[in-house]
Amino acid sequence: MTALQAPPHGRPDGGPGKRPDGPRGAGRKQRQLAPYLFIAPFYVLYGLFMIIPIGAGIYLSMTEWVGLGTPEFIGFDNFANLARDTSFHKALGNSLIYVLISVLVVVPAALLIAQALNTKGLRARDLFRVTFFIPMVLSPIVIALVYSLLLDRNNGLVNALLRALFGAGNTDWLGDPTLARLSVGFVLLWRWVGYLTIFFLAALQAVPKERYEAAELDGAGVFRTFTAVTLPGIRPVTAFVVVTSFIGAAQLFDEPFLITGGGPGEETLSVAMFVYRAAFDRQQFGYAAAAGLVLFVIVFGVSQILNRLLSIGRTS
Amino acid sequence: MTAATPTPARTVRRTPKKAGAAPPGGPRRNGSVPGRIALYATLTVLLLAFVAPMVWALSASFKPRADIFEYPPNLIPSPATLENFRNLLNGEPFWNWFAISVVTALLATVIAVFVCALAGFAFAKYRFAGKRILFSVMFSSLSVPFAVILVPLFVLVVKSGLSNPWFALIVPWVAPAFGIFMMQQYIVQSIPDEILEAARIDGATEFGIFLRVVLPLLRPPLGALAVWQFLHSYNSFLWPLVLISETDRYTIPLGLNILFKAENRSFDLVLPGAVLASVPTILVFLLLRKQLLEGLSTGAVKG
Repeated sequence: MTALQAPPHGRPDGGPGKRPDGPRGAGRKQRQLAPYLFIAPFYVLYGLFMIIPIGAGIYLSMTEWVGLGTPEFIGFDNFANLARDTSFHKALGNSLIYVLISVLVVVPAALLIAQALNTKGLRARDLFRVTFFIPMVLSPIVIALVYSLLLDRNNGLVNALLRALFGAGNTDWLGDPTLARLSVGFVLLWRWVGYLTIFFLAALQAVPKERYEAAELDGAGVFRTFTAVTLPGIRPVTAFVVVTSFIGAAQLFDEPFLITGGGPGEETLSVAMFVYRAAFDRQQFGYAAAAGLVLFVIVFGVSQILNRLLSIGRTS
Repeated sequence: MTAATPTPARTVRRTPKKAGAAPPGGPRRNGSVPGRIALYATLTVLLLAFVAPMVWALSASFKPRADIFEYPPNLIPSPATLENFRNLLNGEPFWNWFAISVVTALLATVIAVFVCALAGFAFAKYRFAGKRILFSVMFSSLSVPFAVILVPLFVLVVKSGLSNPWFALIVPWVAPAFGIFMMQQYIVQSIPDEILEAARIDGATEFGIFLRVVLPLLRPPLGALAVWQFLHSYNSFLWPLVLISETDRYTIPLGLNILFKAENRSFDLVLPGAVLASVPTILVFLLLRKQLLEGLSTGAVKG
């Protein structure tokens, strides 16, 4: 049966009695109900495991609670305390650094690699693409422990190499505040860049070739072609990648927790780690919920603004 | 007949972009030989930077404890030993951790793939009241950081007696919005309305259409989503960390974490653990890499 012979459907009225209406009517009803049933599992889970917890989090954030007994309502005290808490400020600052590293270093690096991989007639493109992606496949714990062994001050391979090359390799990669942040940033780069490259490469390959030919005819140089043809062509993907990296970096937990433990002191502590410590090391569940809520408001707000500005996430 | 124009079967049908397989249509005519050499040199250096730490860990896991930090490191361990692996497997409940990680990740993957395909289908091929708003609600859940639900979800799960890992490591995570989005994008682009109509005329139910007509056509994005979800479940760390307290119910990441945090920093156990832990994910990735890499890009390019 070919689709062309299909009778029209979806008429706004009930339809003339020309045809037996029974099965058609049932079909239409089923067809109206079906999409709701199909999306229902998602919304049930979404309600149970996202909306209710967020609601509970809002309630908890206005209480003081050690995990036992009844939470004691204290209004907005938790938020007032957060505003004065220097380690929360530190965590916000560090998370901001992780966001900046992601958006300003990792994303451009991914674009550069994608651009290189998109070179005409490149051999072994797939080998590069797949290898660069592999860090994303590994557990953060695996990456963290390999890097903490490599960066170890006394025994690590990195310092051993520096000693062999320059005669001085006593750098405390994970113990110096700035270097510790840089080390976490480097692992972020190593882990994420190949993943983001995939998106950019697909986008670059989708830019119509005629535009490049036109630019060439106009005598545009490499840089001009990049800004006038490439960048506008990959705008939607860039938007998606920026928002994804922003959200991922803002809630970073695994890398600082596993590589530096937030240290030295609290110099690499992220907001997610702050929440974890407040709740599970110090049993301040209300305070932790309040900190989580602050992160939520910032991340959700900024990404909604970015989505709106860059117009992503619409139904067709 | 009231509706003179039959619902036009959409003729313009876009085939999904095949990112990886696309012919090299690169912009740069980088014909110069020095340019080429520089390009390959850069890419090769990068390749080494990606591979080196992994190769070092793999090789070190076969070295006696005293040789692990040797400098310069020998690529091929000499003497090579399985001692580390034996100690790990005999001394720690590693296979327990492994089983819990693999089975929970597999279950979560199977359910998630089905739930996402179904919802993606509904958003791609039906018109219904409230669709736009429901879609934005779904999409906006992507920007909810996990840290905000960590504490309340933990409290709720524990209070309702559901902290069993077989429930708590699976059920909350089987409807990822990213998966629905990916499915919706793919279905819009590559499933023509005609075949749905044809099936309806044959008297198929809507769910029957999904199961027998649509699902078989979704193999590429199903493969992509399956890998993506498996990696997420298998590698997840923070949620199992707060949830599971008994050592023999740990997932692999938790097990490696306590070994590593142990006082004597048992890196001779942690390295073989890391190697074994990476086997399933690398295997799944290599087997389904085409689907994953293409599936990830289809969603985003149109996004």
